[in-house]
Amino acid sequence: MDLANYKKVWKNQPEEKNKISALEIYKMTQSKSNSLVKWIFIIGLLEFVFWFAINYLGTKNGALEPYEKLNLINFIDNFNYFHYVLVVLFLILFYRNFSLISTGDDTKTLMKNILLVRKTVKWYVYYNLIYAVVFSIILNILIFNTPDGINILSGIDNESFNKEHMMSVFIIAQIVVIAIMILILWLFYYLLYGILLKKLNKNYKELTKLNEIS
Amino acid sequence: MQNQLEKNFLNDFEKNQNIVHKICRIYTTNQDEHNDLFQEITIQVWKNYSKFRGEAKFSTWMYRVALNTAISLFRKSKRKIKTQDFSDVSFKIKSVDYDDTKDKQLKALYLGIRGLNDIEKALMFLYLEDKPYKEIAKTLGITEVNARVKMNRTKQKLKKILNP
Repeated sequence: MDLANYKKVWKNQPEEKNKISALEIYKMTQSKSNSLVKWIFIIGLLEFVFWFAINYLGTKNGALEPYEKLNLINFIDNFNYFHYVLVVLFLILFYRNFSLISTGDDTKTLMKNILLVRKTVKWYVYYNLIYAVVFSIILNILIFNTPDGINILSGIDNESFNKEHMMSVFIIAQIVVIAIMILILWLFYYLLYGILLKKLNKNYKELTKLNEIS
Repeated sequence: MQNQLEKNFLNDFEKNQNIVHKICRIYTTNQDEHNDLFQEITIQVWKNYSKFRGEAKFSTWMYRVALNTAISLFRKSKRKIKTQDFSDVSFKIKSVDYDDTKDKQLKALYLGIRGLNDIEKALMFLYLEDKPYKEIAKTLGITEVNARVKMNRTKQKLKKILNP
């Protein structure tokens, strides 16, 4: 049987027997959505809070005391103000891109806008990682250029202490910690967004593949 | 209290719910999923209803929102209640004056469409619903030429599934 005949069968199919009443439809509109967009929004907001908290807590609870001794507080404060401005800009961008999502758009535009929101959060995370690395590098340079910087930071006040050896340990320790953190984060994001966006990415690829045909 | 917008929505949606049921049958494989998708589509159509300006027919606009929900927004819930798989669609749609042969053909057609990917399902659904290529292209956000090329491929794929 060819498709034209199947089309006739399709057209003549009876209406759904279990019709949903207007009251049931109304009740459904009052229930909570479980859509991908909702989860992308919630996870995106949580990421903003998480990264902001990490940075904020890092500058509280006496963590900055040694830096006070090194007179680096002004530098850290300025760096943080700059950071907060960028966080606000990212939040505005996140909200703006999120409000672009409309189910009434065509399928391709809708998918593109959902992926754009995801990308905004991705850039935000990248920015935070780059910020942490750049901040550490500048801080290291400032500490090493301060006489007895390491001794003040580590709290060891011993002149006979091998300064070069201490510097190497300090740098290597930082690199290892950052590398482990990035690995854990990458794995976390890979799994989280991998599961969440698997279907969307596949369908988006399928649609954009169409454009390459003609 | 319902306002006029809600009343219009309920009226429009109730009248056109058969479109949603058909989409649910294509994109899901059991009754629980069917109900979940139906509910999500209802929520999405309602959420966007105020933006529907009546430029197009309500049903045309609803095709778009419903398909978008099925393709891009719907997440299958994790509940694992074992329900009857409706690979046998006939139990839902059989009626007294319905010819059994046609029933079997319809069942085969639904099963065949379920063997397609999400985009192909949308293309085939719009074809079966007799939508012109211009509208199909507009709904999916692709060019008319692309819609035609992909439709031909989808038809070939479905033919192979239906007549192995």
